[in-house]
Amino acid sequence: MPCAQAAVREPAADPLLTLRARPRRIALVGNANVGKSVLFGRLTGQYAVVSNYPGTTVAVTTGRAIVGGQVCELIDTPGVTALEGVLSEDERVARRMLDGGEADVVIQVSDARNLRRALMLTSQLAPIGRPMVLVLNMADEARAHGIVIDAAGLSARLGIPVIETVATEGRGVGDLRDAIARAAVPSFGGARRRDHARLAHDLAVEYRRHRPRSAARLQERIGRWVREPVTGLPILALVLYGMYLAVGVFGAQTLVGLIEGGLFEQLVNPGATALVNRLVPWAVVRAFLVGEYGVITMGLTYAIAIVLPVVATFFFVFGFLEDSGYIPRLAIFSDRIFRTMGLNGKAVLPMVLGLGCDTMATMTTRILGTPKERLIAVLLLALGIPCSAQLATILGILGGVSFFALVTLFGVVLVQMFLVGFLAARTIPGERSEFIMELPPIRWPQFGNIVRKTLLRVRWYLGEAVPLFLIGTALLFVLDRLGLLAELTAAAEPVVGGLLGLPRDAAGVFVMGFLRRDYGAAGLFQLAKAGELDGVQAVVALTVMTLFVPCVANFLMMVKEQGMKAALGILGAVTVIALATGTVLNAVLRGLHVSF
Amino acid sequence: MSASEKTRRLSNLAPGASGRVVRVMRENPDRADRLMALGVTPGATVTVLQRFPGVVFLCDHTELAVEPAVARAIVIEVE
Repeated sequence: MPCAQAAVREPAADPLLTLRARPRRIALVGNANVGKSVLFGRLTGQYAVVSNYPGTTVAVTTGRAIVGGQVCELIDTPGVTALEGVLSEDERVARRMLDGGEADVVIQVSDARNLRRALMLTSQLAPIGRPMVLVLNMADEARAHGIVIDAAGLSARLGIPVIETVATEGRGVGDLRDAIARAAVPSFGGARRRDHARLAHDLAVEYRRHRPRSAARLQERIGRWVREPVTGLPILALVLYGMYLAVGVFGAQTLVGLIEGGLFEQLVNPGATALVNRLVPWAVVRAFLVGEYGVITMGLTYAIAIVLPVVATFFFVFGFLEDSGYIPRLAIFSDRIFRTMGLNGKAVLPMVLGLGCDTMATMTTRILGTPKERLIAVLLLALGIPCSAQLATILGILGGVSFFALVTLFGVVLVQMFLVGFLAARTIPGERSEFIMELPPIRWPQFGNIVRKTLLRVRWYLGEAVPLFLIGTALLFVLDRLGLLAELTAAAEPVVGGLLGLPRDAAGVFVMGFLRRDYGAAGLFQLAKAGELDGVQAVVALTVMTLFVPCVANFLMMVKEQGMKAALGILGAVTVIALATGTVLNAVLRGLHVSF
Repeated sequence: MSASEKTRRLSNLAPGASGRVVRVMRENPDRADRLMALGVTPGATVTVLQRFPGVVFLCDHTELAVEPAVARAIVIEVE
């Protein structure tokens, strides 16, 4: 058997570029947040989304790389903390991949500052018996911390190449390419009796030296300021205010004003209308393109002019926060609150990510420890977390009403999330896991990475959301033509007009809201601009819309992560809660004669 | 002086204090495994950074945040 394996791995004589029936597979394995995806990008030239917190990569990604004149398949995997013992979903996936012999070479990527932890994993990888390379990434940060690792000595001891890299700057990546050809099955067999901790500790003591180092770097001081309550809470307030200024004022008002008010209202829509009227003889088609529910005048205008500017601004600011290492530190402040909701502080990650996109965040719930936590997190994301596209329309509408209106909306939504979480924690069977979380170092975000991430996400928004906007508009057009929209509006009147106190037209907006709630909210934006909504109506309508399930894509992701039954349950519960909350809110605001 | 006189729970250390991990109480085996995987193993040096609203400590060069119950399970020998 060893012969057969050796035959597969043996490099061919020496042609410049060897192609095999099945390319050599190289897997990147390692702890979370050590830079696997950055290395993946460096080796393949493909961009994988990278951030400064654990759990950015939630699925196995593959790409092509040329290593030593051979086309290889590179496999990027989610981070693991262990490969033995109680394993998470991701760890089981990694373990199966390694045991199944899917990887011909394993590159273990590690954070050079955490040699002990890296070696614990090496000790678990070694017995699997695949050829390995150990990468000590972030070598620059380790050096700044006064850590010196005897890579040559360690390499001799382990029997595998040990390479130091700074993946974000591409340093050491050439050495790594060369080393892959020298990948070897570790000569040490890992720890005896699974005592990986002892072995790792002894090896780390032997091959690592600490140099005295200068005073704390600025990054560490910032790290302290943001996690200590006295300074951390004011900083949080500043960060939120900064986001409001960037996204709510600059994105939702300045940019939308320019693009929607300027470009679309002055040029695109009149131009398109004139062109269509001249070229298209059929009234139905004209209406379909540029009428009240026209694909261009409504669908495209909503998607490109109202939502896109805010989404893009948000993704940019958000990318900055992601890469700085700030977001995981919010877990320290929120742990207590999340614990009363059957979660722990770690849940802050999917919740904050949900502000970008609830669909993606629903997938990120995999980083949570137990099935109960994942279910509660998926429910809360669907219920209360407005995604960037929806924040866009909320800020666009309420920014023009009053600050107090915004506070009311977010206050109601937060209280509702807390209540639902509190009840869910007590009714859903299962346990929560304890809060144990690694805080990534504070880093200066790289401008290039933020721009790339933003562009990738904007492209994703265009591909994902815009078609739905257009389909939704077409659906409304058909409903309107068939007279069904009027019937639907009449049927919804008792709820929309009676309970929620909204104008009749809002019914159509809620139909859109079922497809994508930001699309529905964009409809509200138009209603508000036409002066058909007063302050209270705007707040009530937006609150209901925010509490709806975000979009069709989010629903499909819920089905994928939690199964059809749970997804339908969440959909039903969320819809009822949304309408009930709107009813109560309307009654209270009217009863108290509040005007915003 | 016996070792037991110098051992404390991580939850009882003041910010700034440091010591070596002696053991992690195993009343919750999952917890011990997770801590171990993050490098909190016997012999590791830890320094408490803050205690409120959650316990944050440095283990090697990793900053870890844990809830109080977890900090109570980590037994430290103070230097």
